[in-house]
Amino acid sequence: MSDEIIQIETPFQFNEENKREFDELIGRYPVKEAAMLPTLHLAQRQAGFISPAVMKYVAELLELSVMKVKDVVTFYPMFFEEPVGKYVIRICHTLPCALRDCKVVLEHLKEKLGTDVASETNLAKGTTDDGKFTLMKVECLASCDVAPVIMVNDDLYKNLTPEKVDELLENL
Amino acid sequence: MVQERRILYEHLDVPDINTFEVFKQHDGYARFEKAIAEYQPEEIADMVKEAGLKGRGGAGFSTGEKWSFVPRDIEPRYLCCNADESEPGTFSNRYVLEKNPHLLIEGILICCYAMGIETTYVYIRGEFTLGKKMLDAAIKEAYEQGYLGENVRDTGLNINIYTHPGAGAYICGEETGLIESLEGKRGQPRNKPPFPAVQGVFMKPTVVQNVETLCNLPFIVGNGVEWYTQMGPTYGDARFDPPKPDPNTGTKLYCISGDVNEPGVYELDLGLTCTELIEVAGGLRGEEVKAVIPGGSSAPILTHYELDTRLDFTSLTLAKSMLGSGGIIVMNETRNIVDCLLNIMKFYAHESCGQCTPCRWGTPWVRDIVQRIADGEGRQATITRPKFGVTESGRWGDTGETEEIYEDLDLLESVANNIANVDTMTWNTICVFGIAVSWPAVSYMRKFRPEFEATIREGELITLPVAEATVPPEENYAYQQRIIPKEMADLE
Ligand SMILES: Cc1cc2nc3c(=O)[nH]c(=O)nc-3n(C[C@H](O)[C@H](O)[C@H](O)COP(=O)(O)O)c2cc1C
Ligand code: SF4
Ligand code: FES
Repeated sequence: MSDEIIQIETPFQFNEENKREFDELIGRYPVKEAAMLPTLHLAQRQAGFISPAVMKYVAELLELSVMKVKDVVTFYPMFFEEPVGKYVIRICHTLPCALRDCKVVLEHLKEKLGTDVASETNLAKGTTDDGKFTLMKVECLASCDVAPVIMVNDDLYKNLTPEKVDELLENL
Repeated sequence: MVQERRILYEHLDVPDINTFEVFKQHDGYARFEKAIAEYQPEEIADMVKEAGLKGRGGAGFSTGEKWSFVPRDIEPRYLCCNADESEPGTFSNRYVLEKNPHLLIEGILICCYAMGIETTYVYIRGEFTLGKKMLDAAIKEAYEQGYLGENVRDTGLNINIYTHPGAGAYICGEETGLIESLEGKRGQPRNKPPFPAVQGVFMKPTVVQNVETLCNLPFIVGNGVEWYTQMGPTYGDARFDPPKPDPNTGTKLYCISGDVNEPGVYELDLGLTCTELIEVAGGLRGEEVKAVIPGGSSAPILTHYELDTRLDFTSLTLAKSMLGSGGIIVMNETRNIVDCLLNIMKFYAHESCGQCTPCRWGTPWVRDIVQRIADGEGRQATITRPKFGVTESGRWGDTGETEEIYEDLDLLESVANNIANVDTMTWNTICVFGIAVSWPAVSYMRKFRPEFEATIREGELITLPVAEATVPPEENYAYQQRIIPKEMADLE
């Protein structure tokens, strides 16, 4: 048998800073479960993605079953269950952006990065071989006035053209 | 030309308005001070009702009325500020959060005071990292300055505001989906009733209010009801005798995108027409308007025949559309409506939360039909209907006449109407997401039927000239079909 199956996962734990932030968070709600989304965001920021070990840890913190945490993780597109690139590029493809040629930007990105677009169940499909970028399509980012737009991790980039994309990728 | 009237956005571009100090120099928190010094909480609630403020998040429900459903004897009560802003075409809340977060805090304070609320959660969509950061910083300042926390400004009020990030699901904008999501679950809407006002977050009475709605409160309190009601039209609702005033008061942060020269947010009195708005936004990019979506992608489309429709809650309801979130998307003559519908249906198929069977299965089905049509594989059929007449043999009998039908268009309408029926306004789903799916699907198809038919017939995407693509209002039920109460019809 391959060792993938007997792979033992390293347990996950918040670092000092995140632990402190979590302790502050939990006081905001009358029930612990309500801290789920902010806690998962914290965990994802630290771990990169929500692995089973992370789910187990979050479940223990919030005194819930692991299944309940997984239930939530699978519902929300912003939580990743697989590793993603260092830079996650989200390109909006909803109507107002489509009216402003987001397709051109998307094709350019695909060609430039040499990757396809990730799907929610297959993030590896949109991740470059060097693990630097993950390209995914998202719905309206509430910036239709400056369409087409992309988000690179937490930052929004507006009024994109292929030239601007080149410049942006170079500076990353 | 119609002039912008900046009230909510007046100080948006003042440098450092996001800091407490600068905000304070521009009347900041003075309106909250006025509220606590001069009015009882119930008086504020009455003012909001009299001002005729309607919710800016989508449903357009009277804010004052919503507040009156909240039982004041159940503790604690909560306020959830809806900053999920995910309706395609809408982007006005983002600027408030990023540039003028203290205005939102002041609005929240006034609402909390009026409703006796101690805890507010601001549900911000996960992608708004900058908005959340700015609001968090502003909240911190407000705590330091004694406007939040225990014993606010020595009044004995305790008010706390917490931000809560979403995680990319559109349905969490629906008020009960938001509440479920806030409680740490999947954001799947709840059955109503009970309404959130009675049983909301943590099963306690909850006021859910959009960012823009809350930002109106300081101005209603600061400048008075009379000043507020001067802006925007107030119609008479003829269902009542004497006609009951139907206010569309205040300004609206119209978000305009698509084929205009200067897309952006324009703050204008409610009630200007589509044509006027396009003019304000730098005019059309292109030769001719083909279609306008008036209230975010969920709203039924308007054709070039309807450009004189006034963009307010009442007028758009009577035009069988809605103001919704105020996201206006303009399309010029080069656009193909089949293609646009496909884009929108992909969105809805992706965002259905999956609780109700008609929505979970129907929405992807509608998408697939539109996809098929757009790919040039739309189905046509020749059907034979029994028809009584003189047959070839000269006798009375079934003449067996055949008819060409566009099978996929009938199917599209039938599937959509089985998710939510747009004619009777009844839905087979838990939340009104179902209507948000069938409204665009059916209205695009009915109003631009020639373009759909041509695309099916030719087997490729055909973009017809505007006049040919559109069904004129006189000839078609597309514009009239929605059954509205007779009294409502009198109003028209
Ligand atoms: C599918 C769906 C999505 C919605 N999305 C939003 C949204 O993103 N932001 C918002 O403020 N309201 C949204 N709403 C409307 C809310 O349900 C609710 O009516 C609103 O937050 C109430 O606030 P208001 O009265 O101040 O408008 C949505 C409704 C539905 C059915
Ligand atoms: S109508 Fe759709 S989105 Fe709304 S609850 Fe049902 S399945 Fe979910
Ligand atoms: S459609 Fe792309 S930001 Fe709204």
